[in-house]
Amino acid sequence: MYRNAEGLGIWEHRGKVAAVGVGHAPTTRRWDGRPETCVGAISIQALRQAIDDAGVAPEQIDGLVVVPDTTTGAFWEEGKPLPMDVIQSFQQTEDPLDGVAKISTEWLLANMPELTNVQFTMYGPTCMSNALNVTAQAVGDGLTHTCLVVKSWHNFEGRYYQGGANAGEALPGTAAMSQLWGGPASYGTALQFAEYCRKYGKSHEMMAPFMENSRRNGLMFPEGYWAQHRPEELGPEDYLAARWIAKPANLFDNDIPIMMSGAYLFSTAERAADMAQKPVYILNHASSNTRSRSLLPTLDEVEADTARTARKIYEGAGITADDLSFENMYDGFSLFHQFHLEGLGYRGIQFGEALDFYQTDISIEGPNPVSPSGGNIGSGRSRVWMHTDCIQQLQGRASSRQVTGVKPEVAVSGGPMPLGGNFTVWSASPD
Amino acid sequence: MERQPRLITVEDEEWPVLVLISFDIDGTLEIGDPPGVLTMDMVRLVREKGFLIGSCSDRPLSGQRAIWAAHEIEVDFVVSKHMLPDVKAQFEADVYVHIGDREDLDRRYALAAGFEFLWPHEAVAHPHFHPEI
Repeated sequence: MYRNAEGLGIWEHRGKVAAVGVGHAPTTRRWDGRPETCVGAISIQALRQAIDDAGVAPEQIDGLVVVPDTTTGAFWEEGKPLPMDVIQSFQQTEDPLDGVAKISTEWLLANMPELTNVQFTMYGPTCMSNALNVTAQAVGDGLTHTCLVVKSWHNFEGRYYQGGANAGEALPGTAAMSQLWGGPASYGTALQFAEYCRKYGKSHEMMAPFMENSRRNGLMFPEGYWAQHRPEELGPEDYLAARWIAKPANLFDNDIPIMMSGAYLFSTAERAADMAQKPVYILNHASSNTRSRSLLPTLDEVEADTARTARKIYEGAGITADDLSFENMYDGFSLFHQFHLEGLGYRGIQFGEALDFYQTDISIEGPNPVSPSGGNIGSGRSRVWMHTDCIQQLQGRASSRQVTGVKPEVAVSGGPMPLGGNFTVWSASPD
Repeated sequence: MERQPRLITVEDEEWPVLVLISFDIDGTLEIGDPPGVLTMDMVRLVREKGFLIGSCSDRPLSGQRAIWAAHEIEVDFVVSKHMLPDVKAQFEADVYVHIGDREDLDRRYALAAGFEFLWPHEAVAHPHFHPEI
């Protein structure tokens, strides 16, 4: 399913798979305990919206790819009473927390009776980026011809990353070494960024234009949290006044956990041609499964791997960095975005040059748009926004966020981490 | 506008006291996310009493200013969570109080900065927030 290696050549299904429909449920900061807002319910909402958006009948859909994990840091407390009123509002599976703190293909199919012809189901672990690779390959391989893919996030009351294994008396496996001291989730990225600044003579202050640009773009993303609930800008004064979480990562370098769900409808290029929205063709998908030598990837390892990932991305798509209309890689945490950017060689920038690039015009109106989605900084923790944005930009329906300084033709999105991740190359045309 | 110390009575004598109150927003004020129990009218009340007031929140500074402007409340400061020591250095007062809903980000920071600390439900019952006292 994954294209991890270099030298695989052009992807065999290049231009033969397309994304058409997009669906998003409304975001919230935390779950309010109601059945209609649980993670299962919002997943159904996003999926139905993607179906409607593509203009297909539910019975035409024969595939479903799901990211089963719906959190990285908000866990149902052990011993806490189950929300039986919510659980009993839906068709259940054997896992009572299915639809509440996780999501399965079985749960979704049981609660979406209109999906009568789904023959293919598969999981894409952790991220939409992963699930997109699975979906693209499955459609290309003929395992499904019209396939839904969904990623959702729940968020409960209480502090993120304070529960689960972090609240226990013991840590299993590698975590016993890497998380023993309870460092914030961003501390690894913060260490890499600190080394980056030392090596290249840069500073945390140089991130401010990128942060301001990302939030600006996010406030033009009507599906996002900040646009929907707290339309706050994030100017340099705001950003630089924030407290440290893991210095040099401050509060705003960490994305805000939210409830959200995003879904897409993929199909073959032939079928997509007759659907309601302009098809966005997949030129390639690529992955990195590189493991670091020690507990945290060093800057050297990160740079080597982002460069390797870019070679895989370009090779399979048959493109070069010059073909990218804009840059839309992952940003949660913001301090690793430049690693993705530099690995791609976007607009010819080399390692150590991204923060200088941030001081130039990186807006959607300029010739070098960076993160037109606004990413997690602009819309909250999802790892989905950059994919939705690539599709909408290439369909020409990104509303006020639409890039105007360049013609949207080819884009790449993906993540999460610079060392390890999954990436998709999108194109307005199949060629 | 320079604040005038309010008068309090101690052993039948009136003493001038200048009080500074720092408000957390989320979980503390009614307009917070989640909403807290302190109303904006309560904030207006202490403002009218002549207290120095402002907000100390994880929200962006510009966002804090926008909230106060939207409610037409003039404040003396807006700062980020970790900046209470700056407030204390900038303003001379007899009593410094921070009101917030978090042990780690409000109470601990406040006490470390030499502020008195009130939970929101304690603040509502405090004489500061009663018009006749």
